[in-house]
Amino acid sequence: MTPLPTWQRGMRGWWRRDPAFRRYLLREATSVAIGAYALMLLAGLGCLVAGPAAWQRWEGLILSPVGLLLQAVVFAAAVIHAVSWFRLMPLTIPPLGRPGRRLADGAIHAGAWAASALCSLGLLGWLVYGA
Amino acid sequence: MTDPETILIEVLRWHPDTPEAPWWQSYEVPYRADATLLEALQTIKDDLDGTLTFRWSCRMAICGSCGCMVNGRPELSCHLLLRDLAPGPVRLEPLAHFPVIRDLVIDQQDFLDKLPAVGAYLVPAEETEAAAAAPAAPSRQTPAQMADYYQYAQCINCLLCYSACPQYGLKPDFLGPAALALMARHDADSRDHGQAGRRAARDADTGVWDCTLVGHCTEVCPQGVDPARAINRNKTASARDYVFDLLLPGRRR
Repeated sequence: MTPLPTWQRGMRGWWRRDPAFRRYLLREATSVAIGAYALMLLAGLGCLVAGPAAWQRWEGLILSPVGLLLQAVVFAAAVIHAVSWFRLMPLTIPPLGRPGRRLADGAIHAGAWAASALCSLGLLGWLVYGA
Repeated sequence: MTDPETILIEVLRWHPDTPEAPWWQSYEVPYRADATLLEALQTIKDDLDGTLTFRWSCRMAICGSCGCMVNGRPELSCHLLLRDLAPGPVRLEPLAHFPVIRDLVIDQQDFLDKLPAVGAYLVPAEETEAAAAAPAAPSRQTPAQMADYYQYAQCINCLLCYSACPQYGLKPDFLGPAALALMARHDADSRDHGQAGRRAARDADTGVWDCTLVGHCTEVCPQGVDPARAINRNKTASARDYVFDLLLPGRRR
Protein backbone atom coordinates (compact mmCIF):
# COMPACT_ATOMS: atom_id res chain seq x y z
CA MET A 1 0.00 0.00 0.00
CA THR A 2 1.40 3.40 -0.92
CA PRO A 3 1.79 5.56 2.15
CA LEU A 4 -0.56 8.53 2.37
CA PRO A 5 0.90 11.90 1.45
CA THR A 6 1.45 13.80 4.68
CA TRP A 7 2.63 17.18 5.91
CA GLN A 8 5.51 17.00 8.41
CA ARG A 9 5.92 20.16 10.46
CA GLY A 10 9.36 21.15 11.75
CA MET A 11 10.64 21.78 15.26
CA ARG A 12 12.16 25.21 14.65
CA GLY A 13 11.74 27.43 17.72
CA TRP A 14 9.93 24.67 19.65
CA TRP A 15 10.67 26.32 23.02
CA ARG A 16 8.53 29.29 22.01
CA ARG A 17 5.43 27.09 21.73
CA ASP A 18 4.70 26.62 25.44
CA PRO A 19 5.81 28.26 28.71
CA ALA A 20 6.37 24.73 30.08
CA PHE A 21 9.19 24.25 27.54
CA ARG A 22 10.86 27.50 28.63
CA ARG A 23 10.57 26.51 32.30
CA TYR A 24 12.24 23.21 31.39
CA LEU A 25 15.10 24.96 29.56
CA LEU A 26 15.55 27.38 32.48
CA ARG A 27 15.72 24.43 34.87
CA GLU A 28 18.36 22.73 32.73
CA ALA A 29 20.32 25.98 32.25
CA THR A 30 20.72 26.39 36.02
CA SER A 31 23.09 23.40 35.88
CA VAL A 32 25.41 25.44 33.66
CA ALA A 33 25.46 28.29 36.19
CA ILE A 34 26.20 25.89 39.04
CA GLY A 35 28.94 24.20 36.98
CA ALA A 36 30.49 27.61 36.28
CA TYR A 37 30.43 28.41 40.01
CA ALA A 38 32.22 25.14 40.76
CA LEU A 39 34.92 26.10 38.21
CA MET A 40 35.21 29.52 39.89
CA LEU A 41 35.80 27.85 43.27
CA LEU A 42 38.32 25.52 41.66
CA ALA A 43 40.15 28.54 40.25
CA GLY A 44 40.18 30.01 43.78
CA LEU A 45 41.76 26.82 45.08
CA GLY A 46 44.38 27.04 42.34
CA CYS A 47 45.12 30.65 43.32
CA LEU A 48 45.43 29.63 46.98
CA VAL A 49 48.06 27.09 46.00
CA ALA A 50 49.82 29.60 43.70
CA GLY A 51 50.53 32.06 46.50
CA PRO A 52 49.28 35.17 48.38
CA ALA A 53 49.40 37.49 45.36
CA ALA A 54 47.28 35.16 43.20
CA TRP A 55 44.85 34.62 46.08
CA GLN A 56 44.36 38.36 46.59
CA ARG A 57 43.79 38.84 42.87
CA TRP A 58 41.09 36.11 42.92
CA GLU A 59 39.54 37.57 46.09
CA GLY A 60 39.46 41.03 44.51
CA LEU A 61 37.76 39.55 41.46
CA ILE A 62 34.95 37.79 43.33
CA LEU A 63 34.35 40.79 45.63
CA SER A 64 34.20 43.25 42.73
CA PRO A 65 30.70 44.51 41.70
CA VAL A 66 30.71 42.22 38.64
CA GLY A 67 31.83 39.27 40.75
CA LEU A 68 29.08 39.89 43.31
CA LEU A 69 26.49 40.27 40.56
CA LEU A 70 27.54 36.95 39.01
CA GLN A 71 27.32 35.26 42.41
CA ALA A 72 23.81 36.67 42.87
CA VAL A 73 22.85 35.14 39.52
CA VAL A 74 24.39 31.81 40.56
CA PHE A 75 22.50 31.95 43.87
CA ALA A 76 19.21 32.54 42.05
CA ALA A 77 20.05 29.64 39.71
CA ALA A 78 20.84 27.41 42.69
CA VAL A 79 17.47 28.21 44.27
CA ILE A 80 15.60 27.39 41.02
CA HIS A 81 17.71 24.25 40.68
CA ALA A 82 16.94 23.06 44.20
CA VAL A 83 13.21 23.85 44.03
CA SER A 84 12.74 22.10 40.67
CA TRP A 85 14.97 19.18 41.67
CA PHE A 86 13.04 18.49 44.87
CA ARG A 87 9.74 18.96 43.02
CA LEU A 88 10.72 16.25 40.52
CA MET A 89 12.31 13.96 43.10
CA PRO A 90 9.23 11.73 43.69
CA LEU A 91 9.09 11.06 39.95
CA THR A 92 12.64 9.81 39.76
CA ILE A 93 12.91 7.45 42.74
CA PRO A 94 11.30 4.00 43.03
CA PRO A 95 8.07 3.83 45.05
CA LEU A 96 9.00 3.87 48.74
CA GLY A 97 7.18 1.85 51.40
CA ARG A 98 4.95 -1.19 50.92
CA PRO A 99 2.06 -1.62 48.44
CA GLY A 100 -0.95 0.19 49.85
CA ARG A 101 1.26 2.24 52.18
CA ARG A 102 3.39 4.13 49.65
CA LEU A 103 5.15 7.28 50.78
CA ALA A 104 3.23 10.33 49.46
CA ASP A 105 4.94 12.95 47.29
CA GLY A 106 4.48 15.56 50.04
CA ALA A 107 6.43 13.43 52.52
CA ILE A 108 9.29 13.02 50.01
CA HIS A 109 9.35 16.80 49.39
CA ALA A 110 9.36 17.50 53.14
CA GLY A 111 12.10 14.93 53.75
CA ALA A 112 14.26 16.37 50.97
CA TRP A 113 13.89 19.94 52.25
CA ALA A 114 14.54 18.85 55.84
CA ALA A 115 17.73 17.01 54.79
CA SER A 116 18.81 20.03 52.75
CA ALA A 117 18.18 22.41 55.68
CA LEU A 118 20.06 20.10 58.05
CA CYS A 119 23.09 19.90 55.74
CA SER A 120 23.08 23.68 55.17
CA LEU A 121 22.86 24.42 58.89
CA GLY A 122 25.55 21.84 59.63
CA LEU A 123 27.88 23.41 57.07
CA LEU A 124 27.13 26.91 58.37
CA GLY A 125 27.77 25.79 61.94
CA TRP A 126 31.06 24.19 60.95
CA LEU A 127 32.13 27.34 59.09
CA VAL A 128 31.25 29.64 61.98
CA TYR A 129 32.27 27.57 65.00
CA GLY A 130 34.22 24.55 63.84
CA ALA A 131 36.85 25.81 61.41
CA MET B 1 -21.82 39.59 31.53
CA THR B 2 -24.02 38.36 28.72
CA ASP B 3 -22.88 35.40 26.68
CA PRO B 4 -21.59 36.17 23.18
CA GLU B 5 -23.75 35.06 20.26
CA THR B 6 -20.88 33.49 18.39
CA ILE B 7 -17.33 32.36 19.04
CA LEU B 8 -14.48 32.66 16.55
CA ILE B 9 -12.70 29.39 15.80
CA GLU B 10 -9.59 29.43 13.62
CA VAL B 11 -8.41 26.13 12.19
CA LEU B 12 -5.05 25.38 10.59
CA ARG B 13 -6.01 23.43 7.48
CA TRP B 14 -3.97 21.30 5.10
CA HIS B 15 -5.10 19.33 2.10
CA PRO B 16 -2.92 16.72 0.33
CA ASP B 17 -3.96 18.12 -3.06
CA THR B 18 -2.33 21.47 -2.23
CA PRO B 19 0.54 20.23 -0.02
CA GLU B 20 2.59 23.42 -0.28
CA ALA B 21 -0.10 25.65 1.16
CA PRO B 22 -1.49 25.09 4.66
CA TRP B 23 -3.90 27.89 5.55
CA TRP B 24 -5.78 29.35 8.50
CA GLN B 25 -9.56 29.39 8.15
CA SER B 26 -11.89 31.26 10.49
CA TYR B 27 -15.40 30.20 11.46
CA GLU B 28 -17.99 32.16 13.44
CA VAL B 29 -19.76 29.40 15.35
CA PRO B 30 -23.00 29.85 17.35
CA TYR B 31 -22.06 30.01 21.04
CA ARG B 32 -23.67 27.82 23.69
CA ALA B 33 -22.38 27.82 27.24
CA ASP B 34 -22.88 24.06 27.60
CA ALA B 35 -21.37 23.09 24.23
CA THR B 36 -17.99 21.43 23.92
CA LEU B 37 -15.32 22.42 21.42
CA LEU B 38 -15.99 19.14 19.61
CA GLU B 39 -19.66 20.14 19.21
CA ALA B 40 -18.50 23.43 17.72
CA LEU B 41 -16.39 21.48 15.19
CA GLN B 42 -19.41 19.31 14.41
CA THR B 43 -21.49 22.46 13.86
CA ILE B 44 -18.86 23.69 11.39
CA LYS B 45 -18.90 20.33 9.60
CA ASP B 46 -22.72 20.12 9.48
CA ASP B 47 -23.73 23.73 8.82
CA LEU B 48 -20.76 25.85 7.69
CA ASP B 49 -18.09 23.84 5.86
CA GLY B 50 -18.44 20.15 5.11
CA THR B 51 -14.83 19.90 3.95
CA LEU B 52 -13.32 20.38 7.42
CA THR B 53 -11.88 17.03 8.54
CA PHE B 54 -11.33 15.83 12.11
CA ARG B 55 -11.54 12.59 14.10
CA TRP B 56 -14.00 11.96 16.89
CA SER B 57 -16.02 9.14 18.37
CA CYS B 58 -17.17 8.90 21.99
CA ARG B 59 -17.71 12.60 22.91
CA MET B 60 -16.77 11.82 26.55
CA ALA B 61 -12.97 11.77 26.79
CA ILE B 62 -12.54 8.02 26.76
CA CYS B 63 -11.86 7.06 23.12
CA GLY B 64 -8.90 9.40 22.64
CA SER B 65 -9.77 10.28 19.03
CA CYS B 66 -10.38 14.02 19.05
CA GLY B 67 -7.00 15.32 20.21
CA CYS B 68 -5.75 18.56 18.67
CA MET B 69 -3.70 21.61 19.63
CA VAL B 70 -6.00 24.19 21.23
CA ASN B 71 -4.28 27.57 21.51
CA GLY B 72 -0.97 25.71 21.35
CA ARG B 73 -1.73 23.08 23.99
CA PRO B 74 -2.65 19.44 23.29
CA GLU B 75 -6.26 18.84 24.35
CA LEU B 76 -9.21 16.55 23.68
CA SER B 77 -11.75 18.79 21.92
CA CYS B 78 -14.63 16.94 23.65
CA HIS B 79 -13.07 17.75 27.03
CA LEU B 80 -13.24 21.54 26.65
CA LEU B 81 -16.35 23.69 27.08
CA LEU B 82 -16.83 26.72 24.85
CA ARG B 83 -17.59 28.84 27.93
CA ASP B 84 -14.04 28.25 29.14
CA LEU B 85 -12.66 29.40 25.77
CA ALA B 86 -14.94 32.44 25.21
CA PRO B 87 -14.62 35.05 23.91
CA GLY B 88 -11.98 33.41 21.70
CA PRO B 89 -10.53 33.33 19.15
CA VAL B 90 -9.77 29.64 19.58
CA ARG B 91 -6.87 28.46 17.43
CA LEU B 92 -6.91 24.80 16.47
CA GLU B 93 -4.03 22.88 14.91
CA PRO B 94 -3.41 19.19 14.33
CA LEU B 95 -1.53 17.43 17.17
CA ALA B 96 2.09 18.56 17.11
CA HIS B 97 4.99 16.27 16.09
CA PHE B 98 2.82 13.92 13.98
CA PRO B 99 2.54 13.95 10.18
CA VAL B 100 -0.72 15.55 9.06
CA ILE B 101 -3.01 13.57 6.75
CA ARG B 102 -5.61 16.31 6.34
CA ASP B 103 -6.77 19.28 8.44
CA LEU B 104 -6.88 18.08 12.09
CA VAL B 105 -6.27 14.41 11.24
CA ILE B 106 -2.79 13.12 12.05
CA ASP B 107 -1.07 9.87 11.14
CA GLN B 108 -0.63 7.85 14.38
CA GLN B 109 1.07 4.90 12.65
CA ASP B 110 4.41 5.62 14.35
CA PHE B 111 2.83 5.10 17.78
CA LEU B 112 1.06 1.93 16.66
CA ASP B 113 4.39 0.59 15.35
CA LYS B 114 6.05 1.29 18.72
CA LEU B 115 3.41 -0.35 20.91
CA PRO B 116 4.54 -3.98 20.30
CA ALA B 117 8.13 -3.07 21.32
CA VAL B 118 7.14 -2.31 24.93
CA GLY B 119 5.39 -5.65 25.57
CA ALA B 120 2.15 -4.07 26.77
CA TYR B 121 0.56 -7.30 27.94
CA LEU B 122 0.79 -9.53 31.03
CA VAL B 123 3.30 -12.37 30.80
CA PRO B 124 2.31 -15.34 32.98
CA ALA B 125 4.75 -17.14 35.29
CA GLU B 126 6.98 -19.68 33.62
CA GLU B 127 5.98 -23.28 33.96
CA THR B 128 6.73 -24.24 37.54
CA GLU B 129 5.74 -27.28 39.55
CA ALA B 130 3.16 -25.23 41.38
CA ALA B 131 1.81 -23.83 38.11
CA ALA B 132 1.69 -27.33 36.59
CA ALA B 133 -0.15 -28.65 39.65
CA ALA B 134 -2.84 -25.98 39.36
CA PRO B 135 -2.76 -24.75 35.76
CA ALA B 136 -6.11 -22.99 35.98
CA ALA B 137 -5.38 -21.14 39.23
CA PRO B 138 -6.35 -17.47 38.97
CA SER B 139 -3.67 -14.79 39.40
CA ARG B 140 -4.91 -13.04 42.51
CA GLN B 141 -4.03 -9.47 43.34
CA THR B 142 -4.77 -7.29 46.36
CA PRO B 143 -6.21 -3.76 45.94
CA ALA B 144 -2.90 -2.43 47.34
CA GLN B 145 -0.95 -4.25 44.62
CA MET B 146 -3.35 -2.92 41.99
CA ALA B 147 -2.86 0.63 43.25
CA ASP B 148 0.79 0.42 42.20
CA TYR B 149 -0.04 0.39 38.47
CA TYR B 150 -3.68 1.51 38.26
CA GLN B 151 -3.01 5.10 37.17
CA TYR B 152 -0.69 3.92 34.38
CA ALA B 153 -3.45 1.60 33.15
CA GLN B 154 -5.78 4.54 32.45
CA CYS B 155 -4.09 5.47 29.15
CA ILE B 156 -6.52 5.94 26.25
CA ASN B 157 -3.82 6.27 23.55
CA CYS B 158 -4.97 9.80 22.69
CA LEU B 159 -1.35 10.85 21.93
CA LEU B 160 -1.63 14.25 23.65
CA CYS B 161 1.55 13.33 25.58
CA TYR B 162 3.49 12.83 22.32
CA SER B 163 2.43 16.30 21.20
CA ALA B 164 3.59 17.68 24.56
CA CYS B 165 7.01 16.01 24.29
CA PRO B 166 9.68 18.04 22.45
CA GLN B 167 12.03 15.07 22.80
CA TYR B 168 9.69 13.04 20.58
CA GLY B 169 9.46 15.92 18.10
CA LEU B 170 13.23 16.27 17.95
CA LYS B 171 14.00 12.53 17.93
CA PRO B 172 11.06 10.58 16.50
CA ASP B 173 12.76 7.22 17.28
CA PHE B 174 12.05 7.81 21.00
CA LEU B 175 9.42 5.29 22.14
CA GLY B 176 7.64 8.15 23.82
CA PRO B 177 5.51 8.81 26.92
CA ALA B 178 2.42 6.62 26.40
CA ALA B 179 4.29 3.54 25.18
CA LEU B 180 6.83 3.73 28.02
CA ALA B 181 4.06 4.35 30.57
CA LEU B 182 2.37 1.17 29.33
CA MET B 183 5.67 -0.64 29.76
CA ALA B 184 5.86 0.62 33.37
CA ARG B 185 2.22 -0.32 33.93
CA HIS B 186 2.97 -3.97 33.11
CA ASP B 187 6.32 -4.00 34.92
CA ALA B 188 4.56 -2.78 38.08
CA ASP B 189 1.82 -5.42 37.93
CA SER B 190 2.29 -8.13 40.59
CA ARG B 191 0.85 -10.76 38.21
CA ASP B 192 3.38 -10.01 35.48
CA HIS B 193 6.60 -11.94 34.86
CA GLY B 194 7.68 -10.22 31.66
CA GLN B 195 10.11 -7.57 32.92
CA ALA B 196 13.15 -9.33 31.46
CA GLY B 197 11.54 -9.36 28.03
CA ARG B 198 10.94 -5.59 28.15
CA ARG B 199 14.48 -4.73 29.22
CA ALA B 200 15.96 -4.40 25.75
CA ALA B 201 13.40 -1.76 24.72
CA ARG B 202 13.64 0.00 28.09
CA ASP B 203 17.45 0.25 28.10
CA ALA B 204 17.89 1.05 24.38
CA ASP B 205 18.85 4.51 23.11
CA THR B 206 15.23 5.01 22.16
CA GLY B 207 13.94 3.90 25.58
CA VAL B 208 13.65 5.59 28.96
CA TRP B 209 17.02 7.37 28.70
CA ASP B 210 15.76 9.48 25.79
CA CYS B 211 13.41 11.21 28.24
CA THR B 212 14.85 14.44 29.66
CA LEU B 213 11.95 14.96 32.09
CA VAL B 214 10.38 17.97 30.43
CA GLY B 215 7.29 16.76 32.27
CA HIS B 216 4.69 18.40 30.01
CA CYS B 217 3.27 14.94 29.10
CA THR B 218 1.96 14.58 32.64
CA GLU B 219 0.47 18.09 32.60
CA VAL B 220 -1.60 17.49 29.45
CA CYS B 221 -2.73 13.90 30.13
CA PRO B 222 -6.55 13.87 30.36
CA GLN B 223 -6.49 10.60 32.34
CA GLY B 224 -3.93 11.47 35.04
CA VAL B 225 -1.56 8.73 33.85
CA ASP B 226 1.63 10.65 34.77
CA PRO B 227 3.93 9.23 32.06
CA ALA B 228 6.85 11.33 33.34
CA ARG B 229 6.78 9.41 36.62
CA ALA B 230 6.37 6.05 34.89
CA ILE B 231 9.37 6.66 32.60
CA ASN B 232 11.71 8.13 35.18
CA ARG B 233 11.05 5.41 37.74
CA ASN B 234 12.02 2.92 35.07
CA LYS B 235 15.32 4.79 34.68
CA THR B 236 16.14 3.72 38.23
CA ALA B 237 15.31 0.11 37.35
CA SER B 238 17.42 0.39 34.19
CA ALA B 239 20.41 1.77 36.10
CA ARG B 240 20.01 -0.88 38.82
CA ASP B 241 20.03 -3.71 36.27
CA TYR B 242 23.07 -2.19 34.53
CA VAL B 243 25.06 -2.11 37.77
CA PHE B 244 24.04 -5.60 38.85
CA ASP B 245 24.94 -6.97 35.43
CA LEU B 246 28.42 -5.46 35.79
CA LEU B 247 28.90 -6.86 39.29
CA LEU B 248 27.30 -10.26 38.63
CA PRO B 249 27.93 -11.15 34.97
CA GLY B 250 26.09 -14.47 35.25
CA ARG B 251 22.89 -12.69 36.26
CA ARG B 252 21.93 -11.60 32.72
CA ARG B 253 19.16 -13.73 31.28
